[in-house]
Amino acid sequence: MPLVDTLFRSRRISPLVFGVVAVLVAFALSALLPTYLVYLAITAIVATIALLGLGIVTGTAGMIALCQLTFAAVGAWIVSLFTVLDVPGGYILWLVAGGVVAGLAGVVIGLPALRLRGVNLAVVTLGFAAAADATLLKTQFPGAPQGTKVPRPEGFLDDRGFFFFCAIVLVVIAVAVHYLQRSRFGSGWRSVAFSERGTASAGTSVRLAKLSAFAVSAAIAGIAGGLIAGQVGTAYPAGFSTIQSLALYVLAIVSGAYLIEMAVFGGILWVLIPELLKRFGIPQDWGFVVFGALGIQALTTNSNLGQDLRNALTKRRHRRGAGTSTGLVPLSDEAFEASLQASGSGSGSGKPLLTVTGLSVSFGQVKALQNVDLTVDEGAIVGLIGPNGAGKSTFVDAVAGFLPQHEGTVRLGGDALDGLPPHKRARLGLRRTFQQDRVPPSLTVGDYVAFIARGEAEPVAIAEVLAFIGCPPASTRIVNVDVGTRRLVEVAANLAAKPRLLVLDEPAAGLSHEEHVAFGQRLRMIPARYGTSILIIEHDLDLVRSVCSSITVLNFGAVLASGSQETVMNDPEVLKAYMGETEML
Amino acid sequence: MLQGALAGLAAGGVYAVIAVCLTLMAQLVKVINFSQAAIGMFGAFIAVMFAEADVPQGLAVFLGILCGVVLSGLIGWIIATWLPEASISARSAVTVASLLLLISMSYILFGTKPKTFRAIFPGPAFEVGGVVVSQVTVVMVALAIVVAIAAKVVLSKTGVGTTLRAIADRPVAAELMGVPVKPFAIGVWLVTGLIVAVAIAIVAPTQTSDAASLSLLVIPASAAALVGGFRRLDLAVIGGLGLGMLQGATAQFPELSLVRDWIPLVLIVVFLLWNQRKEVWDAAR
Amino acid sequence: MNTHADVTAGAGASGTLVLDDLTVSRGIGPVISHVSLAVVPGSITAVVGPNGAGKTSLLESISGVIQAGSGSAVFDGVDITKLSRRRRAKLGIVHVEQGRAIFPSLTVRENLQLASRDASVVQSTLEYFPELEKRLDSATALLSGGEQQMVVLARAFAARPKVLLIDEMSLGLAPVVFLRLLPIVQQFAATGVGVLLVEQFAQLALGISTDALVITSGRVSYAGPASRLLDEPDTLRKAYLG
Repeated sequence: MPLVDTLFRSRRISPLVFGVVAVLVAFALSALLPTYLVYLAITAIVATIALLGLGIVTGTAGMIALCQLTFAAVGAWIVSLFTVLDVPGGYILWLVAGGVVAGLAGVVIGLPALRLRGVNLAVVTLGFAAAADATLLKTQFPGAPQGTKVPRPEGFLDDRGFFFFCAIVLVVIAVAVHYLQRSRFGSGWRSVAFSERGTASAGTSVRLAKLSAFAVSAAIAGIAGGLIAGQVGTAYPAGFSTIQSLALYVLAIVSGAYLIEMAVFGGILWVLIPELLKRFGIPQDWGFVVFGALGIQALTTNSNLGQDLRNALTKRRHRRGAGTSTGLVPLSDEAFEASLQASGSGSGSGKPLLTVTGLSVSFGQVKALQNVDLTVDEGAIVGLIGPNGAGKSTFVDAVAGFLPQHEGTVRLGGDALDGLPPHKRARLGLRRTFQQDRVPPSLTVGDYVAFIARGEAEPVAIAEVLAFIGCPPASTRIVNVDVGTRRLVEVAANLAAKPRLLVLDEPAAGLSHEEHVAFGQRLRMIPARYGTSILIIEHDLDLVRSVCSSITVLNFGAVLASGSQETVMNDPEVLKAYMGETEML
Repeated sequence: MLQGALAGLAAGGVYAVIAVCLTLMAQLVKVINFSQAAIGMFGAFIAVMFAEADVPQGLAVFLGILCGVVLSGLIGWIIATWLPEASISARSAVTVASLLLLISMSYILFGTKPKTFRAIFPGPAFEVGGVVVSQVTVVMVALAIVVAIAAKVVLSKTGVGTTLRAIADRPVAAELMGVPVKPFAIGVWLVTGLIVAVAIAIVAPTQTSDAASLSLLVIPASAAALVGGFRRLDLAVIGGLGLGMLQGATAQFPELSLVRDWIPLVLIVVFLLWNQRKEVWDAAR
Repeated sequence: MNTHADVTAGAGASGTLVLDDLTVSRGIGPVISHVSLAVVPGSITAVVGPNGAGKTSLLESISGVIQAGSGSAVFDGVDITKLSRRRRAKLGIVHVEQGRAIFPSLTVRENLQLASRDASVVQSTLEYFPELEKRLDSATALLSGGEQQMVVLARAFAARPKVLLIDEMSLGLAPVVFLRLLPIVQQFAATGVGVLLVEQFAQLALGISTDALVITSGRVSYAGPASRLLDEPDTLRKAYLG
């Protein structure tokens, strides 16, 4: 995609124009390629399509899927079956049907596996590949024993014609994948690959993000399978074996197939390496040995050819802007007062928004939270303070839905949140930020904000909120943003979602004193500006004092004090909890 | 039925042995080793190669097993060196690549035709109710049980076991206490390589012995390991033996031949769902 | 004693840990910049500063959890900057990580045995923590938070460190438990162990320390005697603001 991207951005060529050009090139190739290369070229295109699908699962969404050619076999099976049954509609419609059925098969296989974490999908897909392989060997494809030929589409009957047809299918799929990658779905896939918690907190179902990636990948493989059936006429199981699925997975890793042009490169390697080996009289099995060795190299160094090439290309153009300071500068007192006047204070309306009652959480023998009550009024900024390890982050996790085993109730406005998963709570208007960096580095700042905002923010609004919090511009790649600033980007993105309540978990840790002051000013302007109430966990008591109308102090998992800023800060018990702490100075 | 079930017990034994190794690897070195069975396959094929070159059978088998051990150690060394703190997915992905590498290497070195193995334990052991139980069956079942018990004892009763459990809990903390984490990890790879190579050398003569089928024994074995949630060795053994018997029993009915291939997958899905029925948020991500 | 001149002067003394101009980077940008300090045997250096200032990263770069980008760390005359974690541990650098780094599936006894095979060492360590005595064969996961932190400290003591790095001992502990642990650390340091104590409760940590280091945004904003910070709250406040 970078090549495609740069073309689009710098010369304003839309992907569609690029697609048309690609089709024209393919037409020229179909006429000019030497005859003995045409058949191989079809194979390369089909492999490219399968790799494009696989790239979504393995590269973009970061999962291991080992049955890509089994999904292709499903597509080929449907096309073969429809040939035997002579289903009306013809090859092109059958091809689409094959893709749809393969996609459904992906849902059926993925549904149980994707409820789960880690390598489970790898185990399930390998099991599926082997079982389907064994079954196909016994049953064969429909019509294969009789030698029924799958008819190629009218007008693309010979190999040159069919090559052109496959190329058109490839271009259509590539353009579709390009738009999908850039859509909210695509952002969700990237986000889930980086952090499941971060994804759920953005109101996106982790399961749905994974399942959609897997189903799209399977559907694309199904279309590739239908093309194989058209290419060979009669499909045989040998073309869809488990080993080849393994090889395709490894090739997707090696080439970095989540980048569209790298999938093309991978497809060419798929054909080129065995072909070269044949030229030199070397057994073709060495091809998979090469893939395996390259795969081990790529996986252990966490790199791939695509990314390496891309880095080599972009390094010359982009000098990394490794600025550690943010654009967050304090407003002058007058300017700040003026904007506050315009927007009102942060003490709240007296109408409760978040109501937490009797919240308790234990981990084994350790009681992390005991019977905690807390209320945030609409329009208020409430501070949650306490020593490190007092249970503040556990409290946020419980409220956000990551600790379903907690006791007690959580209500947001009129909605009871108990039992709801994190993404549903986020959709009801409860957003949170994390202490650790959970901003996916593969996105740009703008794409990230758009993803977190779930369609709430237009580009203008995104630019406005980024400028407000002092973040880098929307086109900046997050990879080039330092960790402290990523936290601010996270705050800005969640603001853009216009939540009812925003829970900030130590958002200012690591910022300089001056940035603290500036950040405090921005916080005070938020309730009126965005209609968002804030619960903030913070260690810098200067910041807490300057923004919070009321404060709750947690110590050792229980509420030590709660009330207006003045009463809490002067409570001798609180002073004792901090043990004469400097932060109270 | 009984005859079929008992006939499937030999396969069940090898599933159980591999399942125990998979469980140990998942627990101790945080990897689902997809090339676990392929390592044994490669060792067994080396043994056949030597046997065909008129090396005495005992020596040939020994060399084959040695090769399996070295291969396993090599993969372990690569992972321990370059991915010491990587996630279980990243580590397991490497073993997918090594699975592909081992199968295709074996095609090159030994050809794609199934191999004829000379049985190490030929002939029947005894009869139960008119059903013959082969020596291989007895040896495999015994091996599975012995390996599981031995692993349990070593882990809970010895200093090495304590260290291994500490590494499994917190590798970085263990390293900060001066524990040589990498050699221990490679040690686990060597031992599981040895166990699997021995098991496959014993069972290969009774199985479909082409490279891919032997390597993909890892699928029913991971189904068995999932019965124990990749945690419990005893359940892994029971799962392996049970799966073998179930497949053996269904083999009696030709009309079930298609169903039989899908039993491991169904088992995998069922136990995955059961093990993870409660939604837990991964602390790290 | 943490000025640059002193640092180089103290480099030769046996059992001394000396950092010279150490810089550590994580991802993009440094988390620790140009830190120099010396920890001599028997001394306690409190490391305090706001959350996110880089205190944990400092300890991690000394024990080898993360690699230093530039500058050097010398312990006992040996340059440890590039050594493996294990080699550093063998030299006597023991790191008590943040957040009660027990081995949960091991019993208390096994946790201690991991540090020392010598039963008498384990026994003498337990004298610091008599309440662990009766829990020796319980799984560590079943202990209370305070007891778990004691196990971690006892394990560190049993490893016979020459320099002990302690990260946020107070994390999640009831104040009364933490107040009990502080004098134990002081006693242990008195046996000739250099201690680097990262702590959120600055006043308490300074109270048992000989030296102090205030870190803000990855840089040293105060280095000197701990008593001065206790006596002059303004100095401490200024150091915190960077």
